[in-house]
Amino acid sequence: MDHQVDVVVVGGGSTGCGVVRDLARRGLDAVLVEKGNLTHGTTGRMHGLLHSGGRYAVSDQKSARECIEENRVLRDIASHCVEETGGMFVKRPEDSEEYFQEKLEGCRACDIPVEVLDGEEARRREPYLARDVEKAIALPDGAVDPFRLCVSNAADAREHGARVETHAPVTDVLVEDGEVVGVEIEHETGPGKRVHREPGTTEEIRARHVVNATGAWAGNVGEMAGVDVEVRPSKGVMTVMNTRQVDTVINRCRPKGDADIVVPHETACILGTTDEEVDDPEDYPEEEWEVDLMIETLSELVPALKDARTLRSFWGVRPLYEPPGTGTEDPTDITRDYFLLDHGDRDDLPGMTTIVGGKLTTYRMMAESISDHVCEVLGHEATCDTAEAPLPGSESDARMEELMDEFGLRSPVARRSGQRLGSRADEVLDEYDPNPIVCECEGVTRAEVQDAIGEAGSDLNAVRLRTRASMGNCQGGFCTHRIASELAREYPEPVVRDAEDELYQERWKGQRHALWGRQLSQAMLNHLLHATTMNRDGDPANLDGEVDFGAFDAGAGSGPASADADEGGDAGTAATDGGRAGDDATTDGGRAGDNATTDGGR
Amino acid sequence: MTRDTPDDTGATDGTGRERGDGSEPRASPGVPEAGRDEQPSIFVPDDGERAGGSEADESEADERPATDGGVESATGGSDSAELDPDAYDPVDVFPGGDLDLREGADSCYKCTSCDTSCPVAEVDDEFPGPKFQGPEQWRLKRKDDHDIDESITSCSNCMRCDDACPSSVPLSQMHNEARGQFVEEQMEKLSVEYVRNRILANYRTSARLASVFPRTASFAMNFGPVRWAMEKTLGIPKERDFPEFATETFREWWKARGGAQVEDPDKRVAYFHGCYSNYNTPEVGKAMVRVYEHFGYEVMVPPQKCSGTPMFANGMLKDARRHAETNVESLIEAIGEGADVIASCTSCSMSLRQEYPELFDIHGIEDVSEHTYEALEYLRIHEDLEGELAGSELADDRSYAYHAPCHARNQGLARQAVETFRDVDGVNMEDVGDSCSGISGTYGWKEEKYEKSMKIGEEMFEHMEDAEGDVGMTECPTCAMQMEHGTGYEIKHPLQLLEETVGA
Repeated sequence: MDHQVDVVVVGGGSTGCGVVRDLARRGLDAVLVEKGNLTHGTTGRMHGLLHSGGRYAVSDQKSARECIEENRVLRDIASHCVEETGGMFVKRPEDSEEYFQEKLEGCRACDIPVEVLDGEEARRREPYLARDVEKAIALPDGAVDPFRLCVSNAADAREHGARVETHAPVTDVLVEDGEVVGVEIEHETGPGKRVHREPGTTEEIRARHVVNATGAWAGNVGEMAGVDVEVRPSKGVMTVMNTRQVDTVINRCRPKGDADIVVPHETACILGTTDEEVDDPEDYPEEEWEVDLMIETLSELVPALKDARTLRSFWGVRPLYEPPGTGTEDPTDITRDYFLLDHGDRDDLPGMTTIVGGKLTTYRMMAESISDHVCEVLGHEATCDTAEAPLPGSESDARMEELMDEFGLRSPVARRSGQRLGSRADEVLDEYDPNPIVCECEGVTRAEVQDAIGEAGSDLNAVRLRTRASMGNCQGGFCTHRIASELAREYPEPVVRDAEDELYQERWKGQRHALWGRQLSQAMLNHLLHATTMNRDGDPANLDGEVDFGAFDAGAGSGPASADADEGGDAGTAATDGGRAGDDATTDGGRAGDNATTDGGR
Repeated sequence: MTRDTPDDTGATDGTGRERGDGSEPRASPGVPEAGRDEQPSIFVPDDGERAGGSEADESEADERPATDGGVESATGGSDSAELDPDAYDPVDVFPGGDLDLREGADSCYKCTSCDTSCPVAEVDDEFPGPKFQGPEQWRLKRKDDHDIDESITSCSNCMRCDDACPSSVPLSQMHNEARGQFVEEQMEKLSVEYVRNRILANYRTSARLASVFPRTASFAMNFGPVRWAMEKTLGIPKERDFPEFATETFREWWKARGGAQVEDPDKRVAYFHGCYSNYNTPEVGKAMVRVYEHFGYEVMVPPQKCSGTPMFANGMLKDARRHAETNVESLIEAIGEGADVIASCTSCSMSLRQEYPELFDIHGIEDVSEHTYEALEYLRIHEDLEGELAGSELADDRSYAYHAPCHARNQGLARQAVETFRDVDGVNMEDVGDSCSGISGTYGWKEEKYEKSMKIGEEMFEHMEDAEGDVGMTECPTCAMQMEHGTGYEIKHPLQLLEETVGA
């Protein structure tokens, strides 16, 4: 029997990462298990808004107050994950004045600092705003990078003795004598970092308590334990624009509705979103009308969006929950509050707690309350310090001048690297010299990629999420192979190939929803470059069986004398080139109009 | 794509026209500004040009109908609130009136055609290339980021990347704007580099002074100890020979001959001679006048300042804007009188056509752009030049090694000289290929860029030497300097050969 830990946290989203950090800092022996990458579920599929609380200031003032409180905490403890963009609620002529006033009063009631701007001033701050925007409420919305946030939480947890296992889905919840005693997980490629082609293993982790923080998937884990958790997953689309049309968060000031927010995120803008209940968080339709709706509707606020380049779209599912019997019809009306379900009290199944609902901005507060609960159950006395202790990377700001002079980075690259790495910039960038740029669109250098590989193994999607490499306008077309080749120092060629394929496919997935205009051209260029320079439309190395290298052109310098003459003609010429038969009309496909019979054979 | 850059009020009186600036004498009283028929403005001494500022002039300027339909700047104009939101095209995003060109990155597919066409990247491994300088740097920029990478100063502004891009990314505009922001925000204003660049960029100012005592200046500027001192103190490479200053400027000649000798209100051109034809090679300007008069054109020579090309290349956008205001004002007046604008320097025509409307928001600037042509180009459009030249013959055979300037290439004019003289008996015009000469205006005049400049030019020098002729030909005065510097050949302008061929 494996040894027993204090707590297993299931789910590597913001909640799970926050909980495992909190528990580890309180001195408990905790393990985090996640079936994919960190943020694989809902956390990695949101628009990255750091709420000021303004969104909930009319409908849900409790949430609004929590948001502004946690907003301030995160600016402090997670400064390298947060961009203090500021935000606005803007009013168009057709939007209700009454609601504008309600919003304003609501914000004031919740201690959200606000400033009312007239249309001119709003446009001075954000020149791309539509000219008929009448006025706006400015408030401290921000942008947060959910992945960086989760990785930092997990890293801090690890520093405090926790174990973090990704790509480790829970296959069973262990119930003995009417009590949850642990989980069984499957390590897809063995424990530790993910490395392609490593054999999978299973492991039983016995724990004094299990925290089910799987969000929209909470019902699945509940089912394994034999309890009912009624999550109502609701999907929303997010559309990524190539550049930042706005540098502050732009919200539409109206009660509720689809497509009412633009969030500047790193180099891009993210448009959101829709709210539609789905049956299965893993399998729901991704529909074109949703993307169209984003661009159409948000163009009313920012007309430039209509002609701007769209990179991709993605969907996320909200883990909405309401206590049984509430029966809300419209998912937009379901509360955004979170619920802590102790299955001992609720279902007479002690040993497990489920957390559902909630939002990223208040993840730390949720984690604190869950950790309080777990400590109470386990009789562990410790105080929470997560609101004061900075996350790794946010201890201090990266120093721009140093990055530029000492590490020879060009200023925009230094600026973006510094933002991503925060106080880790020095230690990460010190590793590599020379340190070329691997991803040009996002200004990611080899040192940063290698640092991420060190943490994530051969999982290039995890590298992508840590560094933003391949998230720019070429969507991996010009850098997937470069990123993959960084793996080659450590991993064998088949692993590198698998990793490369996986990243390239992931990049393609989101682009399928942006195949018009300029991104269509980009996708075609990417395809042709990959097909013609890397054989990616039929790489012999990916075929079964031996490659007959003798069938290839011997190349320049080999000379006809040294070539085998029995390989289908004179090896000094390109024997397979059908186009070379210039003066032999019968084999020339280009003139096949008058000789169709020979054309079919080509 | 226009903007309104507030002028540096410290440098002038704020109008940017040097009006009321005590150092510049006012125009001769009684010289009316209006009405082409009086044609007075062309006789205004060069150093007093456009100094009138009479009431009549002001009111006329105000009455001039907007040339851009009133949509100058969606954010700048007082009437802008009434604009259709769909037509809204804001550009004044960064503080200080700088342009926001981030959206230009939308058109980039990263194909790298620009990088492979960049002559600087070819010889300088440290230079990250136009793709980085342009769409990548802009996309990575945020509103509150003010730093531009220093490598922007290594761009020579040859604009070959514009030509190479299959997707119309506004590369040179991005480079110009970034360079302007770098110089404005980050360059030490007392540094030798800044002072040197400012002197080079404002070549017109130096040239105007030098032409007062042209022989002395030509001697002094190329006098060994002086050159040594210039290299040490200003970073101007001693290898370069300063161009000689003409003893009579083009404008002096024009004034002395009594201005236009052909009058035809239906066939007018306004000649933008630029600085070099005025101060250094008036023979090019004279050739232009004689050729155009031969074809029956009435030539106007409006007051003018520097086209801005050397200023863009050195990030001195405020200087460029001041000069542009004068140029646009006087050229738009000539256009109003039925003239098209003709330049004999391909960089001048490039600037008026492309960079002006891309970088500045000045009343009428779009009109100037649309009415500007290069001298040979205009004749090829409007006259039967081929017919005129077919069968013509020169007394003696001659061969030229022709280099097409990068800026001519960008205007689609790379082959015009070769094509024009193809049917002239006795003329053998050999194109020396599509390489860049490497000087790119003031670029090759910087000590730290000299080696690169010569390395870029190497291919052209070799081809020139392989060509049959030992006289060079090009439209661009600084390419001509480089051609002469690298081969020792005498260099001519196509207009000079045309003058001779048509017997103008």
